[in-house]
Amino acid sequence: MSGSLLLQSLILGVLLGGLYALLAAGLTLYFGVMRVVMIAHSAFLILAAYLAWYASSELGVDPLLTLVVTVPLFFGIGVLMQRLLIRRLRPATLTMMSVLLTFAIALFIEGLIGFVWGGTQRRIQLPYSSSSLEIFGARIAVVKLIAFGLAAVSLLALYVLMKHTRFGQALRATIQHPEAAQLVGIKTDRVAGLGFGLGLATAALGGTALSLDATIYPSLHWHWIGPLMAIIVVGGLGSIPGAAIAALVLGVGQSLLQVPLGTTWAQTIFYIALFVTLMVRPQGFFGGRLAQRF
Amino acid sequence: MAHMTDPSHSTRTRGRALVAAASAAALLTVAACGGSDDGGGGTDDPIVIGISLPLTGDFSEPGKGVQRGYEAWAQIVNEDGGLLGRQVELKILDDQSNADRVVADYEVLIAQDEVDLVFGPFSTRLVVPSARIAQEYGMLFVEPAGAAAEVFEQGFDNLFYAAPAIADDHYNNLADYILALPEDERPETVAVASMDDPFAQGTAYGLRDKLAAGGLEILVDEVYPPNTTDFSPIAAKIADSDADVVIGGTQYQDAVNLIVALQQLGYQPELAAFSTAPTNPEFSAAIGAKTEGILSPTGYTPDATWPSNADFVERYTEIHGNPPGEDEANAYTTGQVVAAAVEAVGCAEQGDCQQQLVDWLHENEVDTVVGPLSWDATGKPQGAHLIQQYVDGEITIVLPEDTAEAAPIFPKPEW
Repeated sequence: MSGSLLLQSLILGVLLGGLYALLAAGLTLYFGVMRVVMIAHSAFLILAAYLAWYASSELGVDPLLTLVVTVPLFFGIGVLMQRLLIRRLRPATLTMMSVLLTFAIALFIEGLIGFVWGGTQRRIQLPYSSSSLEIFGARIAVVKLIAFGLAAVSLLALYVLMKHTRFGQALRATIQHPEAAQLVGIKTDRVAGLGFGLGLATAALGGTALSLDATIYPSLHWHWIGPLMAIIVVGGLGSIPGAAIAALVLGVGQSLLQVPLGTTWAQTIFYIALFVTLMVRPQGFFGGRLAQRF
Repeated sequence: MAHMTDPSHSTRTRGRALVAAASAAALLTVAACGGSDDGGGGTDDPIVIGISLPLTGDFSEPGKGVQRGYEAWAQIVNEDGGLLGRQVELKILDDQSNADRVVADYEVLIAQDEVDLVFGPFSTRLVVPSARIAQEYGMLFVEPAGAAAEVFEQGFDNLFYAAPAIADDHYNNLADYILALPEDERPETVAVASMDDPFAQGTAYGLRDKLAAGGLEILVDEVYPPNTTDFSPIAAKIADSDADVVIGGTQYQDAVNLIVALQQLGYQPELAAFSTAPTNPEFSAAIGAKTEGILSPTGYTPDATWPSNADFVERYTEIHGNPPGEDEANAYTTGQVVAAAVEAVGCAEQGDCQQQLVDWLHENEVDTVVGPLSWDATGKPQGAHLIQQYVDGEITIVLPEDTAEAAPIFPKPEW
């Protein structure tokens, strides 16, 4: 492997990892707040990508501008989903049942996208789709850089929100110990709803970032949910920094492994990491038991 | 539920409802069978043709092209008075690009819907399993898309590929051209990336192996799974090798993604050949018109002077507003091949008729919109593909010399 190819793969890995990090952050948030396994997360991701594609191709609007609509919209859908559906599941079987429920939602969204826009593969075509910047002989595609920037800014905003606002404290308290949080006067139900909305809002951001430089089709979300689930387990369920670090490590790992192993085998890194984590450190590498350490 | 001893009222009611539903279904089936029995000898019933196509999923883009071709064929045949004086009717199911689904679809079409004829689906991956079903039921199976060599190694004797050449031979004209270049101009290194798909690999490896045998060095040889959406790492490898020639064993979207990823990395090969995608009318817009010099094998051009082609192009354009592409033409060719056999033999139904159709096609040549076609015993067509190139944004046939509209441009301009 030549030095320039190594550098190029490293850069591509970091760019990919950034996107994984944002997407995994949302997924781990649902689990942290509500012990919900949100299979439909990536379906919403693809939905957001489709909305961005639609705005760009059919309405001539810059895909990034769709965020103004999709982020509040997805936040609202998330809150409603938690209020109307998730909360009705019995707490004892919540995690199991949430898999079934959100699986159904994922299928519903996939069908909806196929119904409205057809099964054809779509890709946003921007004037700068194939332009790139050169750094030390490696090249960074402009669209990938924008996607990464979007992911990084969103993650940072999420981090600040969680660490430095009253809502963030309430959310973290709900993650760490729901009963204790209730005792000190936090309306955990309300917080959980907002947390769910927040998770879905990250899907809107991630989907828009994804749409800039990827082909989308209705069933694409199955392709994403596996690696994302693996990332949040490796990172420690419920831990946002854990998910972000695991995402970067695995994204870079995938990109580097692709050079010697090829595309087919490089994909397996997520599942190998998942197996190893479950065998060696089932609580994840950064999470502690259910994200005590946030 | 009827066997359960639970005396509750609701169970009994549901049991009764089930029985009622079952008998209703049985009645319907009887009625349906009766209907088709009546029509067996009649001449007014439409000839029903069963087809399963990937209208969604990985192959939806070409799948819909094939659908347009089939539908145009049916419409044109019906306008001209039908087959054997009967109208034709297509029954198209969506297999979602899924090989299990395609098998089930043809089972349903042949055994349950009792269609009179079947046409093939799109893509080798789906042609092989569906041809097996057709073989089991003794149905003639003419297909527009199963071009990989393995299709003809399965021992099918009912299968015919309705196009000029199989995948491995698609690039023959280009390979001859490259190897005939003077020593100092000839490219020396090659990078190959192909989808893990028999057709895509057939085309790319056909060219790769001929170039390797001619002394060119293969620097990169990548295979990616059909669901790949991120082509940056593959593009990085190819760009890093800086090979003179890049060969893409591609279908549609993978070619678009790979080319954009290569352009993002600033890679400028002397020659770029990609299968299938560049023949698609959407291709140019999909990669932002940066198509300059891209080569592709094509089994079809709307400008071809074969007898039935002008009529096809004119009437297709009337229906759709734009001329047909290769997928549409191959589908139309499938229709032409089956129609020729049906008209010659004089029957279109399940049973002995199918074997007569098969026998007729083995012995005869059929004039189609892609030229006269004939087949060997395995159903392999006996021809070669044209090579097209994007010149000033237009698709131009550049090889072979005797049918070329212009000479190939080499080395290719920057994209």
